[in-house]
Amino acid sequence: MQLVPTQHYLILAAVLFCLGMLGVLVRRNALVVFMCVELMLNAANLTFLAFARERGDVTGHLSAFFIIAVAAAEAAVGLAIVIAVFRSRGTVNIDELHTMKH
Amino acid sequence: METYNPLTGYLPLALVFLVAGGMAFAIPLIASMLGPKSVNPIKSETFECGNVTIGSARQRFAVKFYVVALLFIVFDVEAVFLYPWAVNFKALGWFGYTTMSLFAATLIVALAYVWKKGALEWES
Amino acid sequence: MPSFSIQDFMPIFPAAILAVGAMALLLSEAFLVSVPHASASRGYQAVIGVITAAFAGTVAFHNAFEDPRVVLQGFAVLDPFSSFVTVVVAVTVGLAVLLSAGFLKHRNAERGEFYALMLFAAAGMSLLALSAEFITLFVNLEVLSVATYALTAYLRRGTRPAEAGFKYFILGAFSGALLLYGAALLYGATGTTKLAGMAEVLRAASSGDKAWLVYCGMVLVATGFAFKVAAVPFHMWTPDVYEGAPTPVTALMSAGVKAAAFVALIRVFVALAPGLGPQVPFVLFGGLALLTMVAGNLMALPQRNVKRMLAYSSVAHAGYVLLGVTALFAPAAGTEGHGMGVLSASPLLGQVPASAHADIYKAILFYLLGYAVTTIGSFGVLAALERREDETRGTTWDLDRFAGLAHSKPGWAIAMAACMLSLGGIPPTVGFMGKLLVFRAAVDAGLLGLAIVGVLTSAAAAYYYLRVVVYMFMRNAAEGAAVPERHWQTDVALAVATAGVILLGILPGPVTAWLTQATMLALR
Repeated sequence: MQLVPTQHYLILAAVLFCLGMLGVLVRRNALVVFMCVELMLNAANLTFLAFARERGDVTGHLSAFFIIAVAAAEAAVGLAIVIAVFRSRGTVNIDELHTMKH
Repeated sequence: METYNPLTGYLPLALVFLVAGGMAFAIPLIASMLGPKSVNPIKSETFECGNVTIGSARQRFAVKFYVVALLFIVFDVEAVFLYPWAVNFKALGWFGYTTMSLFAATLIVALAYVWKKGALEWES
Repeated sequence: MPSFSIQDFMPIFPAAILAVGAMALLLSEAFLVSVPHASASRGYQAVIGVITAAFAGTVAFHNAFEDPRVVLQGFAVLDPFSSFVTVVVAVTVGLAVLLSAGFLKHRNAERGEFYALMLFAAAGMSLLALSAEFITLFVNLEVLSVATYALTAYLRRGTRPAEAGFKYFILGAFSGALLLYGAALLYGATGTTKLAGMAEVLRAASSGDKAWLVYCGMVLVATGFAFKVAAVPFHMWTPDVYEGAPTPVTALMSAGVKAAAFVALIRVFVALAPGLGPQVPFVLFGGLALLTMVAGNLMALPQRNVKRMLAYSSVAHAGYVLLGVTALFAPAAGTEGHGMGVLSASPLLGQVPASAHADIYKAILFYLLGYAVTTIGSFGVLAALERREDETRGTTWDLDRFAGLAHSKPGWAIAMAACMLSLGGIPPTVGFMGKLLVFRAAVDAGLLGLAIVGVLTSAAAAYYYLRVVVYMFMRNAAEGAAVPERHWQTDVALAVATAGVILLGILPGPVTAWLTQATMLALR
């Protein structure tokens, strides 16, 4: 059976990446913004895997492992920071983060 | 010339989704049209029997859930790196063994730190 | 089965030492500290941190005299750039740890984790500078970023640190994702993630059908790096993050992160240049350099908050380094008489002959060293002047704090004055030598216009740097201004930084001579 062409995966990844980027730029809830960043990382992951499958090369597959590990570490620190923000001001709305504007 | 569509194999699955989706919309619609209705305040409570409901369902979770969950995620993901090594254990030989021992040692340092810091204690 | 020799692991020894030191600090915090809140029992931690940094720096210094070579199957390179940046990072982190010792003790917040995170960040910087493969590069970039996110939000007083940490985290993660997606597209275009392999494929391909992939990937990677080095228009996080972070962490961020990120950026774009057409990186970096030099200095001008002023100054200095990077990609400069065409392509040389290139590299590396020492010194004085009581208010770093400093604390005033002169590019300081080298390299590469903009903006910048000096030496302190506490660690760090600023300004010879020799060797 014929496989789904690589382009389809790439387009999906590009759409996911753009969604994530849009989300980071327009959403106001810190957690949602954070999830959008993860979406972007996973779009990159999908792109790596699509190209790796097209070429039959393991580098892309390996990359995915490392990206997942990095994303997990980033998530741990990121959520800790979101909790610190919440504790210090009781909200995670990023519009209200403007102590330092001059 | 006949071109083979890669999605042909998924046709039965698409049918299932179509039928299931149709049912999901059709049944509540038909029920609301045909069924008898009796509206009263008691009925619109969350539960029709037992205790009166207290508070909202959207309660905050204690932070300790979060700490445990994150520690789990991080260690879980790191453990994935052991898998390719385990599959190729013989081929990688002593070099692989040393490398993975170093990797595991850093994880053990992290675990010792987390443990001693009390992040794994549930009650405190 | 790959075979590696000890030679392969030499370049990563400094980072390994830093990581082991960090882990030792973590374990000491968990197992040795018996009293949870007594700072008295933690005095040794800063010492461990400094010793680790010194050890790593020594090993990196030794590595700097090794023959340049590719190691670990092309995943890393040992060359003067990586070794030099590792030395700079080791010096930076050592001084930042010393500054933190006094800073944290004053706030009763001294913990092993803080120093451990600093050392982990330094390990990430060192590894970032030697990465020659995209995934290695990304992982190391994240190692240093994640450590600095945590450091930024470390102090839990008031709303500033958490807010700064959050902003840094979101924009850092965002830029990391951009860079990674760009890397994925480049992998798709070339089939490898190793920079050397990419350069080879891009040079061989005549005009691939995948050119658009290369261009998209290149733009995304450039944007990711532009965020990390705080180039205008991707700098908006810088002032808030630099202001909200604990001051020693700000020093580490503006000195170390920038140096490592610039070396990685240069490595990536030298590899990608053959696939891009000669004008593309030139126009890209030229534009960024122009915007960054002008906007960074303009935004710093009205700042009365010295910490924020230094943040914008850090943006502006990224512009001067970008000027050097632009010179690297300047088309056709110096080609007459060398018989090299515009498109002559060897892996490390873009379009300019080796000697001109070596001069540019020398200028960039010297500038990064000079900026690192200076910025540590200036943020060090700022950290020493901060008082715990007004941490939650924005006035902690107001210019008035510096009034009369020459009388109350002449040592600090001299250190700050030296650093301000250096940032402003006024002799006899390292900042002057750095600017001189960069501007000369830019002129030699034919970038007369950009170099003039650089000179003009740095002349304008002298206004806001010298204003601090004027306040220190010619104004009287306000009535009842409290004199801040002293810590010997802070004084040692400031003395070292100031000595560096002045000595490297008067006698840059040994360093520049070594840099010339080493870069020539590496480029051959």
